Amino acid sequence: MALLEVEALTKSFGGVTAIADLSFDVPPGQVYSVIGPNGAGKTTLFNMLSGIYHPDDGSIRFMDQGVVGRQPHQVAALGVSRTFQNLQMFFNMSVLDNVMVGCHLRTRTGLFSAALRLPRIKREEKLSRQWAREALAICHLDKFIGQEAGSLPYGVLKRLEIARALAVEPKLLLMDEPAAGLNDTETLEMRKLIRRICESGITVLLVEHNMGLVMQVSDRILVLDYGSRLAEGTPVEIQNDRRVIEAYLGGEVQYAL
Amino acid sequence: MRRLAGLCLLATIVVVLPILFPDNYYVTVVGVTALLHAILAVSLNLLMGYAGQISLGHAAFFGIGAYTSAILTTRYGWDPWAAIMAGLALTGLVSFLVSRPILRLKGHYLAMATLGLGIIINIILVQGDQLTGGPDGLGGIPTLSLFGWALDTDLRWYWMMGATLLGVVWLALNIIDSRSGRALRALHGSEVAAEMMGINTTAAKTGVFVLAALIASLAGGLFCHQQSFISPDSFNFFFSIELVTMVVLGGMASTYGAVFGALILTLLPELLVVFEDFEVMIFGAILMLMMIFLPQGLFVGLQNLVLRWLNRRRSAAFGAVGE
Repeated sequence: MALLEVEALTKSFGGVTAIADLSFDVPPGQVYSVIGPNGAGKTTLFNMLSGIYHPDDGSIRFMDQGVVGRQPHQVAALGVSRTFQNLQMFFNMSVLDNVMVGCHLRTRTGLFSAALRLPRIKREEKLSRQWAREALAICHLDKFIGQEAGSLPYGVLKRLEIARALAVEPKLLLMDEPAAGLNDTETLEMRKLIRRICESGITVLLVEHNMGLVMQVSDRILVLDYGSRLAEGTPVEIQNDRRVIEAYLGGEVQYAL
Repeated sequence: MRRLAGLCLLATIVVVLPILFPDNYYVTVVGVTALLHAILAVSLNLLMGYAGQISLGHAAFFGIGAYTSAILTTRYGWDPWAAIMAGLALTGLVSFLVSRPILRLKGHYLAMATLGLGIIINIILVQGDQLTGGPDGLGGIPTLSLFGWALDTDLRWYWMMGATLLGVVWLALNIIDSRSGRALRALHGSEVAAEMMGINTTAAKTGVFVLAALIASLAGGLFCHQQSFISPDSFNFFFSIELVTMVVLGGMASTYGAVFGALILTLLPELLVVFEDFEVMIFGAILMLMMIFLPQGLFVGLQNLVLRWLNRRRSAAFGAVGE
C-alpha cells in the first residue's frame, strides 16, 4: 500500500491553474522525485502536501489519514517533514538549537514546567540534545555544533535544514531542491545523504532540477508539466519517454549521464 | 550552573547596593523604579525580543493589574494580595481574548493593533471615573505587608521589587532555555519552518502574550501599592513606547539586556536633571548615539565587544606560547 496517495488534486491562484487534476502514489521506502520545468507546480504541490496551502479540490492521504484541512504543525505530527527551496533556517539560533527545535514533537513539556524548571525539563533537554546530535551526525555536521546558524556557509545550511527535518523523525521527508546552489562535490555528498536517509527507512519525496542527481538517486520519477502529470516511472523509463524528451529533457539527459 | 551565573551576579548587585548605600536616593527611590521597569522590560522582551511579536500596548496590562488591585482595595476593602490575584486573573482573561485576533497580524499591523489596545485601555481608565477616579487618579491605596512585615519604607519596597525581579529573570531564563523557549525563538526566525517542525505557532504566540501580560500585571499590582496613588498617565501610550525602548536599547532577545536597558532609561533622566532645559535634548541625543554605534543594543553590543577582546587576548597568548 502506498504511503502517500494524491488524488485529483487541483489548485489555482486567481485563475492561473498551478496544479490540475493530479494523481499519484508514493510507495514507502523509496526516493520519489518530482521534476518539471520552472512553474510546473512542484513547490505548490509541496506546500499542499505539508498543509501550507489548501487545495481547491482533490484529496491527499498520508498513511490512510487525510491531510487536507490540517495545519502544517498537524501534518508534521502525522510524520511529514520538509526542507525549503529558499532556506528557512532559524538564523537567530545556534546550530544545535536549530536541530533541537526539530525534536519538538518528540517531547512534551510546556511553558509552565519550563518556567519553574521542573526536573523533567532537565531529562527532556538531555534527550533532545542527544537526538539533535544524532541528526547532525547523519548529515556530517558534527563539527558545526557550537556555531551560530547565521555564520555558516550556504552548502552547510542546506544540510542543516535536512538535519533539522530528520530530528522530527518523519516517515516522509519532502525535500525541495536540496542541491540548488551546491557545487559538484557538495552535490555528490547530497546524493549520498539522500540515499542514507532512504535506507534508514524514511521515504523521500524530492523536487530537484539537477537531472544527474535525480536520475541517480530516484527509484521513481513523476514528471509535471503545467500542473499535470506528463509521465511517471523509473529513471530509465522516464529517460526513454518520448513525451518527456520532447517537452522537457531534450538532449540534456544524454549529457547528464 | 553556568546557566545561572548571570543571575547570581545580578542578585549580588541587587543585594549589595542597598547594604553599601542604605540611604542613597538613587538606590532606594530611583532603584525601586528601575527594578519595576526591569520587571516590565523582561516580560516585554519575552514577547518582543524572543518571539518577535512587537507590542506597543504593554502598559495596558501593567495598568489593568494596577487599577484592579487599587479599585478592589480602596473601594471594596479587599486584602491587597487577593486584589493582586484578581488583577492577574483579569489580565489573563483580557490578554487571552485579544491575543487570538491580534496575533494573526504581523509587523506594522501588529504594532498598530497593540497600539490601539493600549489606547483603548487608557481611555477606559480615564473615562470610567466612577470606578477609576478618572484623570484625577485614585489615592489612598494601602501598602502591602508580607508575613506581618509592612512594606512601609523605600528600602523595604526595594527588597520586594528586587526579589520579584530576580524571580522574573529566573523564570525568563528557564523558559528561553527549554522546548517552549526554542519554539518561541523558532517562530521568530521562520514561522513556516516552525510550523513544519510541529510547533503550533498560534498557541505558542498566545502563550507568551498571556505570560508577558501576567508579569506586567503583577508589576502593576506591586506598583499601585507602592505608590499608594495612581493615575492613567502612568499607563499611557508613551510608557508603552518607553518599555519598547528599554528592550531595544538593552539588546533584543537578551534578558539581561532588558534589565540593563531599563536601568539606563530610568537612571539617565535622573542624572540629566542638572542640564535643566536641555535634559530631553541630551537624552534623545544619547539614545541616538547608542543606537548608531551599538545597533545590537547596549548590553548585547558591549557583551560582544568584550567577548571579541577576550578571544583576541587568548589567541595572542597562545601565539606567544607558540613562539
